[in-house]
Amino acid sequence: MKEKDRTKLIFIASFLILPVLHLIIFSYVPIIGNLIVSFTDWKGFGDMNFVGIRNYKRLFTNTEYISMFKNCLWYLLAAIPQLVFAFFLAVVINGKFRGLNIFKGILILPYLLNGVIVSTIFIIFFQNSGSLNAILEMLHLNGLQHKWLQDLKIVNPSIASISIWRYYGMNFIMFFGALQNIPTELYEAAVIDGCTKMQEIRYISIPFIKRVLFINIILSISGSIQVFEIPYIMLNGSNGTLTPVIQIQQSMYDNRVGFAAALSVLVFVIVMIVITAQRLLVKDD
Amino acid sequence: MIYESTLYKIVRYVFLVLASVFVLVPLVPLVFMAFKSGREMQETSVLTPPSNWLNFYNFGYAIEKGHLIKAFIITAIILVISLTIQILLTCMVSYVLHRFDFKLKKVVRTAFTLTMFIPVVATQTLIFRMMHAVKLVNTMWSVVILYSGVGIVGIYIMLNLLDNVTREIDEAAWIDGATFPYTFWNIVFPLMKPGCTTLLIIQGIALYNDFYIPNLYLNRDVQTFTIALYKFYGSMSTPFEIVSAAIIIGMIPILIVFIALQKYIYSGIAAGAVKM
Repeated sequence: MKEKDRTKLIFIASFLILPVLHLIIFSYVPIIGNLIVSFTDWKGFGDMNFVGIRNYKRLFTNTEYISMFKNCLWYLLAAIPQLVFAFFLAVVINGKFRGLNIFKGILILPYLLNGVIVSTIFIIFFQNSGSLNAILEMLHLNGLQHKWLQDLKIVNPSIASISIWRYYGMNFIMFFGALQNIPTELYEAAVIDGCTKMQEIRYISIPFIKRVLFINIILSISGSIQVFEIPYIMLNGSNGTLTPVIQIQQSMYDNRVGFAAALSVLVFVIVMIVITAQRLLVKDD
Repeated sequence: MIYESTLYKIVRYVFLVLASVFVLVPLVPLVFMAFKSGREMQETSVLTPPSNWLNFYNFGYAIEKGHLIKAFIITAIILVISLTIQILLTCMVSYVLHRFDFKLKKVVRTAFTLTMFIPVVATQTLIFRMMHAVKLVNTMWSVVILYSGVGIVGIYIMLNLLDNVTREIDEAAWIDGATFPYTFWNIVFPLMKPGCTTLLIIQGIALYNDFYIPNLYLNRDVQTFTIALYKFYGSMSTPFEIVSAAIIIGMIPILIVFIALQKYIYSGIAAGAVKM
Protein backbone atom coordinates (compact mmCIF):
# COMPACT_ATOMS: atom_id res chain seq x y z
CA MET A 1 0.00 0.00 0.00
CA LYS A 2 2.76 2.39 1.03
CA GLU A 3 4.68 1.56 -2.14
CA LYS A 4 1.59 2.24 -4.27
CA ASP A 5 1.03 5.63 -2.60
CA ARG A 6 4.60 6.58 -3.27
CA THR A 7 4.45 5.74 -6.97
CA LYS A 8 1.19 7.66 -7.14
CA LEU A 9 2.77 10.74 -5.63
CA ILE A 10 5.75 10.49 -7.95
CA PHE A 11 3.38 10.19 -10.88
CA ILE A 12 1.36 13.25 -9.81
CA ALA A 13 4.49 15.30 -9.17
CA SER A 14 6.05 14.36 -12.50
CA PHE A 15 2.93 15.47 -14.38
CA LEU A 16 2.67 18.76 -12.53
CA ILE A 17 6.25 19.88 -12.10
CA LEU A 18 6.87 21.57 -15.46
CA PRO A 19 3.57 23.46 -15.81
CA VAL A 20 3.67 24.59 -12.19
CA LEU A 21 7.26 25.82 -12.52
CA HIS A 22 6.29 27.68 -15.69
CA LEU A 23 3.36 29.21 -13.86
CA ILE A 24 5.50 30.39 -10.96
CA ILE A 25 8.35 31.75 -13.08
CA PHE A 26 6.29 33.45 -15.76
CA SER A 27 3.19 34.57 -13.90
CA TYR A 28 3.69 34.89 -10.16
CA VAL A 29 7.33 35.95 -9.90
CA PRO A 30 6.84 38.81 -12.42
CA ILE A 31 3.69 40.06 -10.70
CA ILE A 32 5.28 40.13 -7.25
CA GLY A 33 8.55 41.39 -8.73
CA ASN A 34 6.70 44.19 -10.51
CA LEU A 35 5.21 45.32 -7.26
CA ILE A 36 8.67 45.55 -5.66
CA VAL A 37 10.39 47.13 -8.66
CA SER A 38 7.59 49.68 -9.05
CA PHE A 39 8.83 51.39 -5.87
CA THR A 40 12.37 51.72 -7.22
CA ASP A 41 14.24 53.56 -9.96
CA TRP A 42 15.64 50.34 -11.46
CA LYS A 43 16.91 50.68 -15.01
CA GLY A 44 16.90 46.96 -15.77
CA PHE A 45 20.54 46.69 -14.77
CA GLY A 46 22.77 48.07 -12.02
CA ASP A 47 21.55 49.41 -8.70
CA MET A 48 18.01 49.51 -7.44
CA ASN A 49 17.14 52.52 -5.26
CA PHE A 50 13.94 52.76 -3.30
CA VAL A 51 12.01 55.86 -4.39
CA GLY A 52 8.70 55.35 -2.57
CA ILE A 53 5.60 56.14 -4.57
CA ARG A 54 7.35 58.47 -7.02
CA ASN A 55 6.54 56.31 -10.07
CA TYR A 56 2.87 56.13 -9.15
CA LYS A 57 2.71 59.83 -8.38
CA ARG A 58 4.06 60.57 -11.84
CA LEU A 59 1.35 58.38 -13.38
CA PHE A 60 -1.45 60.22 -11.64
CA THR A 61 -0.17 63.78 -12.05
CA ASN A 62 1.33 63.95 -15.53
CA THR A 63 -1.43 64.93 -17.99
CA GLU A 64 0.15 62.85 -20.78
CA TYR A 65 -0.25 59.71 -18.70
CA ILE A 66 -3.76 60.57 -17.63
CA SER A 67 -4.79 61.10 -21.25
CA MET A 68 -3.64 57.61 -22.20
CA PHE A 69 -6.21 56.19 -19.80
CA LYS A 70 -8.78 58.50 -21.35
CA ASN A 71 -7.89 57.04 -24.75
CA CYS A 72 -8.99 53.65 -23.45
CA LEU A 73 -12.48 55.03 -22.99
CA TRP A 74 -12.87 55.37 -26.78
CA TYR A 75 -12.26 51.63 -27.10
CA LEU A 76 -14.77 50.96 -24.37
CA LEU A 77 -17.30 53.14 -26.20
CA ALA A 78 -16.67 51.22 -29.44
CA ALA A 79 -17.47 47.99 -27.59
CA ILE A 80 -21.14 48.99 -27.33
CA PRO A 81 -22.00 48.92 -31.07
CA GLN A 82 -19.62 45.95 -31.36
CA LEU A 83 -21.61 43.86 -28.88
CA VAL A 84 -24.99 44.93 -30.28
CA PHE A 85 -23.91 44.10 -33.83
CA ALA A 86 -22.43 40.74 -32.76
CA PHE A 87 -25.57 39.84 -30.85
CA PHE A 88 -28.01 40.51 -33.69
CA LEU A 89 -25.72 38.75 -36.11
CA ALA A 90 -25.72 35.68 -33.88
CA VAL A 91 -29.53 35.81 -33.62
CA VAL A 92 -30.13 35.94 -37.37
CA ILE A 93 -27.52 33.34 -38.26
CA ASN A 94 -28.93 30.88 -35.74
CA GLY A 95 -31.12 28.87 -38.10
CA LYS A 96 -31.01 26.86 -41.28
CA PHE A 97 -31.12 28.71 -44.58
CA ARG A 98 -29.48 28.89 -47.97
CA GLY A 99 -26.02 30.47 -47.93
CA LEU A 100 -25.53 29.96 -44.18
CA ASN A 101 -22.01 28.58 -44.55
CA ILE A 102 -20.89 31.32 -46.93
CA PHE A 103 -22.04 33.99 -44.49
CA LYS A 104 -20.41 32.14 -41.60
CA GLY A 105 -17.16 32.06 -43.58
CA ILE A 106 -17.18 35.75 -44.46
CA LEU A 107 -18.25 36.94 -41.03
CA ILE A 108 -15.49 35.11 -39.15
CA LEU A 109 -12.75 36.45 -41.43
CA PRO A 110 -11.70 39.52 -39.36
CA TYR A 111 -11.30 37.36 -36.25
CA LEU A 112 -8.68 35.28 -38.07
CA LEU A 113 -6.48 38.22 -39.11
CA ASN A 114 -3.57 39.47 -37.02
CA GLY A 115 -2.92 42.99 -35.81
CA VAL A 116 -0.44 43.87 -38.56
CA ILE A 117 -2.85 42.82 -41.30
CA VAL A 118 -5.76 44.68 -39.70
CA SER A 119 -3.62 47.80 -39.19
CA THR A 120 -2.51 47.85 -42.82
CA ILE A 121 -6.06 47.34 -44.05
CA PHE A 122 -7.18 50.34 -42.04
CA ILE A 123 -4.24 52.55 -42.91
CA ILE A 124 -5.37 52.09 -46.51
CA PHE A 125 -8.94 52.74 -45.41
CA PHE A 126 -8.32 55.87 -43.31
CA GLN A 127 -5.36 57.58 -44.98
CA ASN A 128 -5.97 60.93 -46.68
CA SER A 129 -6.24 59.45 -50.15
CA GLY A 130 -7.68 56.22 -48.74
CA SER A 131 -10.88 54.33 -49.39
CA LEU A 132 -13.06 56.08 -46.81
CA ASN A 133 -12.43 59.51 -48.31
CA ALA A 134 -12.78 58.07 -51.83
CA ILE A 135 -16.12 56.51 -50.95
CA LEU A 136 -17.33 59.80 -49.44
CA GLU A 137 -16.32 61.60 -52.61
CA MET A 138 -18.15 59.06 -54.73
CA LEU A 139 -21.28 59.71 -52.69
CA HIS A 140 -20.77 63.49 -53.07
CA LEU A 141 -20.27 63.84 -49.34
CA ASN A 142 -16.98 65.74 -49.61
CA GLY A 143 -17.93 67.77 -46.54
CA LEU A 144 -17.50 64.65 -44.41
CA GLN A 145 -13.95 63.96 -45.58
CA HIS A 146 -11.33 64.21 -42.85
CA LYS A 147 -7.70 63.55 -42.18
CA TRP A 148 -8.81 60.60 -40.09
CA LEU A 149 -5.38 59.68 -38.75
CA GLN A 150 -3.89 63.15 -38.38
CA ASP A 151 -6.67 65.29 -36.97
CA LEU A 152 -6.04 65.09 -33.22
CA LYS A 153 -9.74 65.42 -32.47
CA ILE A 154 -10.82 62.35 -34.42
CA VAL A 155 -7.79 60.08 -34.54
CA ASN A 156 -8.76 58.17 -31.39
CA PRO A 157 -12.40 57.53 -32.32
CA SER A 158 -11.21 56.58 -35.83
CA ILE A 159 -8.81 53.89 -34.70
CA ALA A 160 -11.03 52.78 -31.82
CA SER A 161 -13.75 52.04 -34.37
CA ILE A 162 -11.40 49.53 -35.99
CA SER A 163 -11.79 47.34 -32.92
CA ILE A 164 -15.46 46.88 -33.83
CA TRP A 165 -14.43 45.33 -37.14
CA ARG A 166 -11.63 43.34 -35.62
CA TYR A 167 -13.23 41.91 -32.50
CA TYR A 168 -16.97 41.57 -33.13
CA GLY A 169 -16.28 38.06 -34.49
CA MET A 170 -15.18 36.80 -31.08
CA ASN A 171 -18.37 38.09 -29.42
CA PHE A 172 -20.44 36.81 -32.32
CA ILE A 173 -19.11 33.25 -31.98
CA MET A 174 -19.66 33.27 -28.23
CA PHE A 175 -23.25 34.49 -28.62
CA PHE A 176 -23.86 32.01 -31.42
CA GLY A 177 -22.53 29.13 -29.31
CA ALA A 178 -24.79 30.12 -26.43
CA LEU A 179 -27.87 30.55 -28.64
CA GLN A 180 -27.39 27.08 -30.08
CA ASN A 181 -27.79 25.62 -26.62
CA ILE A 182 -31.33 26.97 -26.32
CA PRO A 183 -33.82 24.13 -26.85
CA THR A 184 -35.82 24.62 -30.08
CA GLU A 185 -39.04 23.66 -28.26
CA LEU A 186 -38.98 27.07 -26.61
CA TYR A 187 -39.04 28.81 -29.97
CA GLU A 188 -41.74 26.46 -31.24
CA ALA A 189 -43.88 27.27 -28.22
CA ALA A 190 -43.28 30.96 -28.82
CA VAL A 191 -44.47 30.64 -32.42
CA ILE A 192 -47.63 28.80 -31.32
CA ASP A 193 -48.30 31.56 -28.80
CA GLY A 194 -47.95 34.09 -31.59
CA CYS A 195 -44.77 35.83 -30.43
CA THR A 196 -43.03 38.24 -32.78
CA LYS A 197 -39.33 37.78 -33.49
CA MET A 198 -38.50 40.75 -31.26
CA GLN A 199 -40.49 39.21 -28.40
CA GLU A 200 -38.66 35.94 -28.93
CA ILE A 201 -35.34 37.75 -28.64
CA ARG A 202 -36.46 39.71 -25.60
CA TYR A 203 -38.02 36.83 -23.63
CA ILE A 204 -36.09 33.75 -24.78
CA SER A 205 -32.72 34.59 -26.33
CA ILE A 206 -31.52 37.33 -23.99
CA PRO A 207 -32.39 35.64 -20.67
CA PHE A 208 -30.79 32.40 -21.87
CA ILE A 209 -27.49 33.93 -22.87
CA LYS A 210 -27.27 36.45 -20.03
CA ARG A 211 -24.14 34.85 -18.63
CA VAL A 212 -22.32 34.92 -21.95
CA LEU A 213 -23.48 38.48 -22.56
CA PHE A 214 -22.00 39.41 -19.22
CA ILE A 215 -18.70 37.67 -19.95
CA ASN A 216 -18.50 39.61 -23.22
CA ILE A 217 -19.05 42.92 -21.47
CA ILE A 218 -16.31 42.11 -18.97
CA LEU A 219 -13.94 41.01 -21.75
CA SER A 220 -14.57 44.30 -23.53
CA ILE A 221 -13.79 46.33 -20.43
CA SER A 222 -10.60 44.43 -19.58
CA GLY A 223 -9.65 44.46 -23.28
CA SER A 224 -9.99 48.20 -23.60
CA ILE A 225 -7.48 48.82 -20.80
CA GLN A 226 -5.02 46.53 -22.61
CA VAL A 227 -5.29 48.08 -26.08
CA PHE A 228 -1.96 47.84 -27.82
CA GLU A 229 -1.65 46.51 -31.35
CA ILE A 230 -3.71 48.86 -33.51
CA PRO A 231 -2.45 52.22 -32.18
CA TYR A 232 1.09 50.84 -31.85
CA ILE A 233 1.32 49.37 -35.34
CA MET A 234 -0.57 52.14 -37.13
CA LEU A 235 0.83 55.20 -35.41
CA ASN A 236 3.39 54.00 -32.86
CA GLY A 237 1.27 55.70 -30.21
CA SER A 238 1.88 59.13 -31.72
CA ASN A 239 -0.77 61.81 -32.47
CA GLY A 240 -2.17 61.40 -28.97
CA THR A 241 -2.99 57.70 -29.42
CA LEU A 242 -0.80 56.48 -26.57
CA THR A 243 -2.24 53.67 -24.45
CA PRO A 244 -0.97 52.26 -21.14
CA VAL A 245 0.47 49.11 -22.74
CA ILE A 246 2.32 51.08 -25.43
CA GLN A 247 3.77 53.21 -22.65
CA ILE A 248 4.86 50.11 -20.71
CA GLN A 249 6.80 48.92 -23.73
CA GLN A 250 8.34 52.31 -24.47
CA SER A 251 9.45 52.72 -20.86
CA MET A 252 11.02 49.27 -20.98
CA TYR A 253 13.02 50.22 -24.06
CA ASP A 254 14.00 53.52 -22.42
CA ASN A 255 15.35 51.54 -19.42
CA ARG A 256 12.75 53.04 -17.11
CA VAL A 257 11.90 49.62 -15.72
CA GLY A 258 10.68 50.98 -12.37
CA PHE A 259 8.13 53.19 -14.08
CA ALA A 260 7.09 50.41 -16.51
CA ALA A 261 6.55 48.16 -13.50
CA ALA A 262 4.36 50.73 -11.76
CA LEU A 263 2.21 51.08 -14.87
CA SER A 264 2.02 47.26 -15.19
CA VAL A 265 0.84 47.03 -11.60
CA LEU A 266 -1.86 49.61 -12.32
CA VAL A 267 -3.10 47.74 -15.43
CA PHE A 268 -3.04 44.50 -13.45
CA VAL A 269 -5.08 46.01 -10.62
CA ILE A 270 -7.69 47.41 -13.02
CA VAL A 271 -8.08 44.07 -14.83
CA MET A 272 -8.27 42.29 -11.48
CA ILE A 273 -11.05 44.58 -10.23
CA VAL A 274 -13.05 44.08 -13.43
CA ILE A 275 -12.77 40.29 -13.37
CA THR A 276 -13.47 40.09 -9.63
CA ALA A 277 -16.60 42.15 -10.21
CA GLN A 278 -17.68 39.65 -12.86
CA ARG A 279 -17.12 36.68 -10.54
CA LEU A 280 -19.07 38.30 -7.72
CA LEU A 281 -21.95 39.43 -9.90
CA VAL A 282 -22.25 36.08 -11.67
CA LYS A 283 -22.35 34.27 -8.34
CA ASP A 284 -25.26 36.46 -7.26
CA ASP A 285 -27.26 35.23 -10.21
CA MET B 1 -38.15 23.11 -37.66
CA ILE B 2 -38.90 26.60 -36.48
CA TYR B 3 -41.45 28.56 -38.46
CA GLU B 4 -40.08 31.81 -39.83
CA SER B 5 -42.16 34.50 -41.49
CA THR B 6 -41.24 35.68 -44.99
CA LEU B 7 -40.59 39.15 -43.63
CA TYR B 8 -38.07 37.76 -41.14
CA LYS B 9 -36.34 35.80 -43.89
CA ILE B 10 -35.97 38.98 -45.97
CA VAL B 11 -34.76 41.02 -43.00
CA ARG B 12 -32.23 38.30 -42.24
CA TYR B 13 -30.76 38.32 -45.74
CA VAL B 14 -30.60 42.12 -45.87
CA PHE B 15 -28.85 42.20 -42.51
CA LEU B 16 -26.37 39.47 -43.44
CA VAL B 17 -25.56 41.05 -46.79
CA LEU B 18 -24.97 44.43 -45.13
CA ALA B 19 -22.77 42.78 -42.49
CA SER B 20 -20.75 41.03 -45.20
CA VAL B 21 -20.30 44.35 -47.01
CA PHE B 22 -19.09 45.86 -43.73
CA VAL B 23 -16.51 43.07 -43.45
CA LEU B 24 -15.38 43.04 -47.07
CA VAL B 25 -15.27 46.75 -47.99
CA PRO B 26 -12.02 47.52 -46.15
CA LEU B 27 -10.43 44.42 -47.74
CA VAL B 28 -11.22 45.28 -51.36
CA PRO B 29 -8.62 48.07 -51.89
CA LEU B 30 -5.96 45.81 -50.38
CA VAL B 31 -6.65 43.14 -52.98
CA PHE B 32 -6.71 45.79 -55.76
CA MET B 33 -3.39 47.26 -54.65
CA ALA B 34 -1.57 43.94 -54.55
CA PHE B 35 -1.97 43.68 -58.35
CA LYS B 36 -1.21 47.30 -59.23
CA SER B 37 2.07 48.65 -60.53
CA GLY B 38 3.80 51.53 -58.74
CA ARG B 39 2.71 53.92 -61.46
CA GLU B 40 -0.87 52.77 -61.33
CA MET B 41 -0.84 53.38 -57.58
CA GLN B 42 -0.01 57.03 -58.13
CA GLU B 43 -2.39 57.60 -61.00
CA THR B 44 -5.52 55.73 -59.87
CA SER B 45 -7.83 55.93 -56.87
CA VAL B 46 -7.72 53.20 -54.22
CA LEU B 47 -11.14 52.09 -55.39
CA THR B 48 -10.08 51.50 -59.00
CA PRO B 49 -9.44 47.84 -59.85
CA PRO B 50 -5.99 47.00 -61.25
CA SER B 51 -5.59 47.04 -65.02
CA ASN B 52 -3.90 43.65 -65.03
CA TRP B 53 -5.09 40.98 -62.60
CA LEU B 54 -2.16 38.78 -63.58
CA ASN B 55 0.50 41.19 -62.40
CA PHE B 56 2.24 39.06 -59.76
CA TYR B 57 5.36 41.24 -59.59
CA ASN B 58 4.46 42.58 -56.12
CA PHE B 59 4.09 39.09 -54.70
CA GLY B 60 7.49 37.96 -55.93
CA TYR B 61 9.11 41.14 -54.68
CA ALA B 62 7.44 40.79 -51.25
CA ILE B 63 8.53 37.17 -50.82
CA GLU B 64 12.11 38.00 -51.75
CA LYS B 65 12.63 41.31 -49.92
CA GLY B 66 10.44 40.53 -46.91
CA HIS B 67 12.21 37.21 -46.20
CA LEU B 68 8.71 35.81 -45.90
CA ILE B 69 9.62 32.18 -46.55
CA LYS B 70 12.21 32.16 -43.79
CA ALA B 71 9.73 33.85 -41.45
CA PHE B 72 7.09 31.31 -42.35
CA ILE B 73 9.39 28.39 -41.55
CA ILE B 74 10.37 29.93 -38.21
CA THR B 75 6.71 30.50 -37.34
CA ALA B 76 5.90 26.90 -38.23
CA ILE B 77 8.73 25.58 -36.02
CA ILE B 78 7.70 27.77 -33.09
CA LEU B 79 4.06 26.76 -33.40
CA VAL B 80 4.68 23.04 -33.78
CA ILE B 81 7.00 22.87 -30.76
CA SER B 82 5.04 25.09 -28.43
CA LEU B 83 1.58 23.79 -29.33
CA THR B 84 2.73 20.19 -28.87
CA ILE B 85 4.21 20.94 -25.46
CA GLN B 86 1.33 23.13 -24.37
CA ILE B 87 -1.39 20.66 -25.36
CA LEU B 88 0.40 17.65 -23.88
CA LEU B 89 1.02 19.46 -20.61
CA THR B 90 -2.57 20.68 -20.49
CA CYS B 91 -3.81 17.08 -20.84
CA MET B 92 -1.42 15.90 -18.14
CA VAL B 93 -2.28 18.63 -15.63
CA SER B 94 -6.01 18.24 -16.23
CA TYR B 95 -5.83 14.45 -15.87
CA VAL B 96 -4.04 14.70 -12.54
CA LEU B 97 -6.37 17.43 -11.26
CA HIS B 98 -9.44 15.49 -12.33
CA ARG B 99 -8.57 11.96 -11.23
CA PHE B 100 -6.38 12.21 -8.14
CA ASP B 101 -6.64 13.63 -4.65
CA PHE B 102 -3.50 15.01 -3.15
CA LYS B 103 -2.43 17.52 -0.56
CA LEU B 104 -1.79 20.61 -2.68
CA LYS B 105 -4.54 19.98 -5.24
CA LYS B 106 -6.59 23.01 -4.25
CA VAL B 107 -3.54 25.25 -4.23
CA VAL B 108 -2.46 24.11 -7.70
CA ARG B 109 -5.94 24.54 -9.14
CA THR B 110 -6.35 27.98 -7.65
CA ALA B 111 -2.91 28.99 -8.88
CA PHE B 112 -3.92 28.16 -12.44
CA THR B 113 -7.33 29.82 -12.08
CA LEU B 114 -5.86 33.05 -10.76
CA THR B 115 -3.78 33.51 -13.92
CA MET B 116 -6.87 34.85 -15.63
CA PHE B 117 -6.38 37.94 -13.49
CA ILE B 118 -2.87 38.41 -14.82
CA PRO B 119 -2.67 40.17 -18.17
CA VAL B 120 0.35 39.01 -20.20
CA VAL B 121 1.23 42.63 -20.88
CA ALA B 122 1.60 43.31 -17.17
CA THR B 123 4.25 40.63 -16.65
CA GLN B 124 6.68 41.21 -19.48
CA THR B 125 8.69 44.00 -17.85
CA LEU B 126 10.48 41.54 -15.62
CA ILE B 127 10.26 38.49 -17.88
CA PHE B 128 12.13 40.51 -20.50
CA ARG B 129 14.93 41.14 -17.99
CA MET B 130 15.00 37.40 -17.13
CA MET B 131 15.16 36.38 -20.78
CA HIS B 132 17.84 38.97 -21.32
CA ALA B 133 19.86 37.60 -18.40
CA VAL B 134 19.82 34.06 -19.79
CA LYS B 135 20.56 35.39 -23.31
CA LEU B 136 17.37 34.11 -24.91
CA VAL B 137 16.23 37.46 -26.32
CA ASN B 138 16.38 37.39 -30.12
CA THR B 139 16.21 33.62 -30.21
CA MET B 140 13.03 31.73 -30.91
CA TRP B 141 13.37 29.83 -27.63
CA SER B 142 12.18 32.82 -25.60
CA VAL B 143 8.93 32.75 -27.56
CA VAL B 144 8.65 28.94 -27.47
CA ILE B 145 9.09 28.93 -23.68
CA LEU B 146 6.48 31.64 -23.15
CA TYR B 147 4.02 29.88 -25.46
CA SER B 148 4.43 26.50 -23.77
CA GLY B 149 2.64 27.34 -20.52
CA VAL B 150 -0.63 25.71 -19.52
CA GLY B 151 -3.59 28.09 -19.60
CA ILE B 152 -6.74 27.97 -17.56
CA VAL B 153 -9.08 27.87 -20.59
CA GLY B 154 -7.36 24.70 -21.77
CA ILE B 155 -7.66 23.14 -18.33
CA TYR B 156 -11.39 23.96 -18.23
CA ILE B 157 -11.95 22.37 -21.62
CA MET B 158 -10.13 19.20 -20.57
CA LEU B 159 -11.76 18.95 -17.13
CA ASN B 160 -15.15 19.23 -18.81
CA LEU B 161 -14.21 16.50 -21.23
CA LEU B 162 -12.91 14.21 -18.47
CA ASP B 163 -16.25 14.53 -16.67
CA ASN B 164 -17.63 12.44 -19.52
CA VAL B 165 -14.87 9.81 -19.41
CA THR B 166 -15.84 7.34 -16.71
CA ARG B 167 -13.37 6.63 -13.91
CA GLU B 168 -14.07 2.93 -14.26
CA ILE B 169 -11.82 2.85 -17.31
CA ASP B 170 -8.83 3.94 -15.21
CA GLU B 171 -9.72 1.66 -12.32
CA ALA B 172 -10.13 -1.37 -14.54
CA ALA B 173 -6.70 -0.73 -16.02
CA TRP B 174 -5.14 -0.37 -12.56
CA ILE B 175 -6.70 -3.64 -11.39
CA ASP B 176 -5.26 -5.31 -14.48
CA GLY B 177 -1.85 -4.11 -13.27
CA ALA B 178 -1.35 -1.15 -15.58
CA THR B 179 0.92 1.57 -14.24
CA PHE B 180 -0.31 5.15 -13.85
CA PRO B 181 1.64 6.46 -16.84
CA TYR B 182 0.50 3.53 -19.00
CA THR B 183 -3.13 4.14 -18.08
CA PHE B 184 -2.85 7.79 -18.99
CA TRP B 185 -0.95 7.47 -22.26
CA ASN B 186 -2.67 4.41 -23.67
CA ILE B 187 -6.17 4.58 -22.28
CA VAL B 188 -7.28 8.08 -21.22
CA PHE B 189 -5.16 10.33 -23.44
CA PRO B 190 -6.58 8.93 -26.71
CA LEU B 191 -10.05 9.79 -25.40
CA MET B 192 -8.98 13.41 -24.86
CA LYS B 193 -8.44 14.04 -28.57
CA PRO B 194 -11.55 16.19 -29.13
CA GLY B 195 -10.30 18.57 -26.43
CA CYS B 196 -6.89 18.63 -28.06
CA THR B 197 -8.45 19.61 -31.39
CA THR B 198 -10.36 22.46 -29.75
CA LEU B 199 -7.27 23.71 -27.98
CA LEU B 200 -5.18 23.34 -31.13
CA ILE B 201 -7.60 25.59 -33.03
CA ILE B 202 -7.93 28.28 -30.36
CA GLN B 203 -4.25 28.42 -29.54
CA GLY B 204 -3.12 27.90 -33.12
CA ILE B 205 -5.02 30.98 -34.28
CA ALA B 206 -3.97 32.98 -31.22
CA LEU B 207 -0.27 32.15 -31.50
CA TYR B 208 -0.04 32.48 -35.27
CA ASN B 209 -1.54 35.94 -34.95
CA ASP B 210 0.26 37.01 -31.78
CA PHE B 211 2.15 40.24 -32.12
CA TYR B 212 3.03 41.36 -28.60
CA ILE B 213 5.41 38.57 -27.57
CA PRO B 214 7.38 38.14 -30.83
CA ASN B 215 7.61 41.90 -31.25
CA LEU B 216 9.18 42.14 -27.82
CA TYR B 217 11.55 39.19 -28.08
CA LEU B 218 12.37 38.77 -31.76
CA ASN B 219 13.93 41.81 -33.30
CA ARG B 220 16.75 40.83 -35.58
CA ASP B 221 17.33 37.80 -37.80
CA VAL B 222 14.74 35.55 -36.26
CA GLN B 223 11.24 36.76 -37.06
CA THR B 224 7.80 35.25 -37.05
CA PHE B 225 5.54 35.90 -39.98
CA THR B 226 3.66 38.63 -38.13
CA ILE B 227 6.88 40.42 -37.27
CA ALA B 228 8.28 40.08 -40.78
CA LEU B 229 5.12 41.75 -42.07
CA TYR B 230 5.44 44.46 -39.45
CA LYS B 231 9.09 45.21 -40.19
CA PHE B 232 8.28 45.30 -43.84
CA TYR B 233 5.45 47.67 -43.29
CA GLY B 234 7.30 49.77 -40.75
CA SER B 235 10.12 50.64 -43.10
CA MET B 236 8.74 53.70 -44.84
CA SER B 237 10.46 52.88 -48.09
CA THR B 238 8.23 49.87 -48.73
CA PRO B 239 5.45 50.89 -51.11
CA PHE B 240 1.87 49.99 -50.25
CA GLU B 241 1.35 47.70 -53.24
CA ILE B 242 4.19 45.49 -52.00
CA VAL B 243 2.89 45.48 -48.43
CA SER B 244 -0.57 44.57 -49.72
CA ALA B 245 0.86 41.61 -51.62
CA ALA B 246 2.77 40.50 -48.50
CA ILE B 247 -0.42 40.71 -46.45
CA ILE B 248 -2.35 38.60 -48.91
CA ILE B 249 0.41 36.00 -48.72
CA GLY B 250 0.10 36.17 -44.91
CA MET B 251 -3.62 35.52 -45.12
CA ILE B 252 -3.26 32.37 -47.23
CA PRO B 253 -2.22 29.97 -44.42
CA ILE B 254 -5.09 31.20 -42.26
CA LEU B 255 -7.59 30.73 -45.06
CA ILE B 256 -6.31 27.22 -45.81
CA VAL B 257 -6.58 26.23 -42.17
CA PHE B 258 -10.00 27.83 -42.00
CA ILE B 259 -11.35 25.96 -45.01
CA ALA B 260 -9.87 22.68 -43.76
CA LEU B 261 -11.16 23.04 -40.21
CA GLN B 262 -14.27 25.20 -40.69
CA LYS B 263 -16.44 22.54 -39.04
CA TYR B 264 -14.40 22.70 -35.84
CA ILE B 265 -13.60 26.40 -35.72
CA TYR B 266 -17.01 27.69 -34.68
CA SER B 267 -17.55 25.04 -32.00
CA GLY B 268 -13.90 25.21 -30.93
CA ILE B 269 -13.78 28.93 -30.36
CA ALA B 270 -17.18 28.93 -28.70
CA ALA B 271 -16.12 26.11 -26.35
CA GLY B 272 -12.95 27.94 -25.36
CA ALA B 273 -14.72 31.21 -24.83
CA VAL B 274 -17.79 30.05 -22.98
CA LYS B 275 -15.70 28.23 -20.38
CA MET B 276 -14.35 31.51 -19.04
